[in-house]
Amino acid sequence: MSLAPLLRKMFFVDLIKGMAVTFHYQDPKEIYTEQYPLERPEIAGRYRGLPRLNVNPETQETLCIACDLCALACPERLIVIRSERNAASKRKELTTWTVDASRCMFCGLCEEACPTDCLELSQDFEFATYRRDFVFGRERLERGPEPTVYRK
Amino acid sequence: MLAYLQSYLSQPVTPGEAGNYVWATIYVVAVVIGVSLAVLAMNWIERKALAHMQVRLGPMRVGPHGLLQPVADAVKLLIKEDIMPEGADKLVFWAAPVMIIITAWTTFLVVPFGREHAVTDMNIGILFILGVSSLSVLSIVMAGWASNSHYPLLGSLRSSAQMVSYEVAMGLAVICAILMTGLGGTGMYLRHGGETAALGAGTLSMIGIVQAQAAQGTWFIFKLFPLGLAAFVIFAIAMVAETNRAPFDLPEAESELVAGFHTEYSGFRWSLFMLAEYSGMVAVSSIAVTLWLGGWLRPFATWHGPPIVIPHYWQGGALDFAASLLPALVVFLLALVCFIGVARMPKIPVFRIQAAGLAALGGALGLVGLVMLAPPVRDRVQDVFWFAMKVAGFMYLFIWYRATFPRYRFDQLMKVGWKGLLPVALGVVIVTAVVGVLR
Repeated sequence: MSLAPLLRKMFFVDLIKGMAVTFHYQDPKEIYTEQYPLERPEIAGRYRGLPRLNVNPETQETLCIACDLCALACPERLIVIRSERNAASKRKELTTWTVDASRCMFCGLCEEACPTDCLELSQDFEFATYRRDFVFGRERLERGPEPTVYRK
Repeated sequence: MLAYLQSYLSQPVTPGEAGNYVWATIYVVAVVIGVSLAVLAMNWIERKALAHMQVRLGPMRVGPHGLLQPVADAVKLLIKEDIMPEGADKLVFWAAPVMIIITAWTTFLVVPFGREHAVTDMNIGILFILGVSSLSVLSIVMAGWASNSHYPLLGSLRSSAQMVSYEVAMGLAVICAILMTGLGGTGMYLRHGGETAALGAGTLSMIGIVQAQAAQGTWFIFKLFPLGLAAFVIFAIAMVAETNRAPFDLPEAESELVAGFHTEYSGFRWSLFMLAEYSGMVAVSSIAVTLWLGGWLRPFATWHGPPIVIPHYWQGGALDFAASLLPALVVFLLALVCFIGVARMPKIPVFRIQAAGLAALGGALGLVGLVMLAPPVRDRVQDVFWFAMKVAGFMYLFIWYRATFPRYRFDQLMKVGWKGLLPVALGVVIVTAVVGVLR
């Protein structure tokens, strides 16, 4: 063994360097943990969470035209759409729109298929429920997530 | 009775030397409680410090910043079901944790927390500690064997090999410090204030070793410059291996052996193993502090500063005065931290109990600090304070190692022990002896 590595070993140079690293990480500023229910994470804009049905912000009417394209695009066939013809306006009107989140793989093909800006995958990742019912209906999807806000 | 109790307080010796059984019992109880509290505190500090070194938060929920987490864990462990595996050797399985806790606590009989603050002073103190603490390997082997399971057995085999091989280097490093006690004729066994002086002879008494450092005016880590330091470093490495801590935690390597020798243990028995491990860490740190870091002596103990007189309170050097106030100041600082925590607590009903508890703790600490300012307490608490500070430094070092170093492989472990530490320790002992004689 040549001299320099031997000296490094004898005086624990590398070990002390390692200890310096861990020592610096003790700074509370370095802490990466986020205290989830208290602090909410910043979800990336491209995150694909639970679908959301957008509404017209002025009239609060749904943007969905019940064209069924999203249901056709869905590889899992888990979107169910029911609609009925409005006799007065001659327009198809949405009655139910459900998604079975337990089977959804969040591929986003339904979002791609939507001809209006109605269907969109949101940043909602909290769909734990107290019931074994992951079929989310129109109200929930239009309303969006309503997480419990905890006080620190 | 009262006179019997008070008669000890006027003597500057340990209760064991004074032959005072009542005070000896009080000291034993105090040491057991103190060590248990230190283990609880260490449990919390280790989890917090380790978490921060790994950029995590650690326990945050039970009490402010998880302060009550060790208490919650202790309660959980005590109310757990007591499981004994069916194929286990019942008697040995039962005896192993009992034995390990006895060996871990017996070592504290001779640990000198101060000149008067040890249960007793033995003329073979360091030998006694090494002997008793070596017994802990026996209970680890017992635990591994009695579990009748392969992981515990492997863990205990590793443990026995490791502890036996590191004990050699450790013993040689200790010999080096003991040789130094004899230097300059200061190593007489200072049992009765120093009048019985066997010149040139060293001492094995823990108190005698610290007194030799006081008499030589230097800690042994700085003695004969590179030699004391080298012996200390060897001891510092060997003591980590002796206590089965990372990076030498092969006997309980989580990733390889589940939990090593205590895999089959749970509940109260397991907590005894945990208690013994941490008490063992305190014990070896105490040895290192006593042998190399001047025991209860404060840093720069030879500097006294200009003499000052405060009527009815102090007469002596200014530096001594400042040092004597330090323990109380530290306690006040802790109390202040508690009160700052109370002030920063969110003002909502959920936190009312926490805030009240923290305020009560702060108040209690403040009262303790005030008591520590009283002259008789102030003079007695000093030694214990400095000893505890030095041991606390070592405990932090244990955590720091654990956060930094990856575990050794078994052959590497043996290589470090036999081919690294042992020859160096032998060399240090020989050179120390030669230099000591030539001086």
